Amino acid sequence: MNHDEAEKLLGPYRDGELDLATCLKLEQHMADCPSCQQKLAGEQELVGLIQAETPRFKPSPFLKTRIQAALRGTAKPKWKWTYPIPLAFHELSILGSIAVIALLISVITPAALWLFSTSNSSRLAQEAVANHVRSLQVNHLMDVASTDQHTVKPWFAGKLDYSPQVVDLTPSGYPLIGGRLDVLDHRNVAAIVYQRRKHYINLFIWPIKEGSLHDRIYNQDGYHVLGWSKSGMNYLAVSEIGEKELREFVQMIQDQTIDSRPEE
Amino acid sequence: MFGVEQHRDAGENLNQPGFEQVFLPHLDAAYNLARWLLRNDQDAEDAVQEAYMRAHKAFDRFRGGDGKAWLMTILRNVCYTMIKKLRSHETPEPFDEEIHQTVSGLEAQEAFRQKANAESLHCALEKLPDEFREVIVLHDLEGLAYKEIASVVGIPIGTVMSRLARARGRLRAEIIASNAKESLS
Repeated sequence: MNHDEAEKLLGPYRDGELDLATCLKLEQHMADCPSCQQKLAGEQELVGLIQAETPRFKPSPFLKTRIQAALRGTAKPKWKWTYPIPLAFHELSILGSIAVIALLISVITPAALWLFSTSNSSRLAQEAVANHVRSLQVNHLMDVASTDQHTVKPWFAGKLDYSPQVVDLTPSGYPLIGGRLDVLDHRNVAAIVYQRRKHYINLFIWPIKEGSLHDRIYNQDGYHVLGWSKSGMNYLAVSEIGEKELREFVQMIQDQTIDSRPEE
Repeated sequence: MFGVEQHRDAGENLNQPGFEQVFLPHLDAAYNLARWLLRNDQDAEDAVQEAYMRAHKAFDRFRGGDGKAWLMTILRNVCYTMIKKLRSHETPEPFDEEIHQTVSGLEAQEAFRQKANAESLHCALEKLPDEFREVIVLHDLEGLAYKEIASVVGIPIGTVMSRLARARGRLRAEIIASNAKESLS
C-alpha cells in the first residue's frame, strides 16, 4: 500500500469501515509513516470534537404527541358499539298479540332506553376524542397555561355559566398544566389539561342538564375515554395514556372533587 | 366493568403498534437531522411529522430492520423539498475556496487545536454546504454506517467515503478560518 492510498483510508479506518485485510495493510504502512499517524490523530480529534460538542437538537415534547395524534387520526374510526337496534315496535303490533307486545315492551323498553343513553354517551366520547386530538394537533392545547389551580379556575369565570372544580395532581405525577374552553355536545365546556410524562389528559367538565354519565370506559384507536358524574357535573377524561393509568387519574380526581353542589 | 367492549378492543389495534414501535424511537435522530438541514425548529418539526405520515403510508413496503435509515431516507426527501421552497429566493453564499484549501501539517493541527471549541464548531457546521453537513450529521452524530448513509443519500459507498472525508476537511478548514477572521477584527 502506497502513501496516497493509505491517506485516503484513514477516515474509514477511524470509522471502523475497513475490512480486516485492508486494516492490516494500512496498519503496516502507518507503522513507518509519521505523517499518516499524525493525520489519523487529527481525524480522531476532529470527530471527537464533533461528537462531544455538537448540539444534538431535541424536539419539543409536543412533537411526539402531535405525530401520534396525526397517525391515529388517519386510521378509520372504529367504534366498538355494535349492539343491534331492537325491532321497531309497530312491526310487532301488527301481530296483534297484546301479550307478546306487553312482554316485549317490558323487556325491550328498558333495554332500548339504556341503549339510547349509551349511544348518546358514546357519541359524546367520540366527540371528546376528536376534541382531544384537535387540541394536540393545532397547538391549541391551552388558553390559560398555568400549573396553579387558583389561576385556572378563576380564568373560566365569565366564560362559562358554571365554575368547574380544578384540582392539582402534581404530587401524584399528573401535573395540572392549564385549561381551555372547548365545545362538547353543542355547549361550551371547561377542558382542564393535565400532563402524564409526555402525554396529555383532557378533562372535560360541564353541568348535568339532560342526563348524567354512567361510569364507563370507551376505547378508540388507542385513546381511552372515561366518563362519570358527580355533584351535578359530568366529567369526561380523554387521553392516549394506558387505561390503567387513566383509571388511576380518574380515581384521584373523583377523590379530590369536593362533594357539594357546584357554585353557580 | 364493560367486558364486552374491552375484549373487542384488545385485538383492534394490532395493525398499529408495529409502526409506532419501529419508528417512534428514532424521533430524536430524525428531528436532529431535520433541524440541521432546515435550521429552524418549526420547519424541522413539520418535516419530521410529514416524514412520519409518509412512512406510515408506505409502511407495507418497509422490509424490516431497525427502520432508522428507512425513516431518514424519507425525511431527507421531505427536507430537501422544503429547502427548495424555502430558499428558492436566496442565492447561496459562495464558498470561499481560498480560505478553504485543505489544511494539513503540524502547524494547521496546532491552529485547529487552539481554535476548536463548541461555538466555532457549530458555526463551521452551519456554514457547510447541505450535502456535506448531512453526512457529518448522519455519521458522526447519528452513528449511521457508510452503507446506511449510501442508501439514505442515494449514492455509492465510495462516494460516502470521499464525501465524508471532504466534509471533515472543510469543517476543519472552516473552524480555523472563522476563528482567524474573528482574531483579525
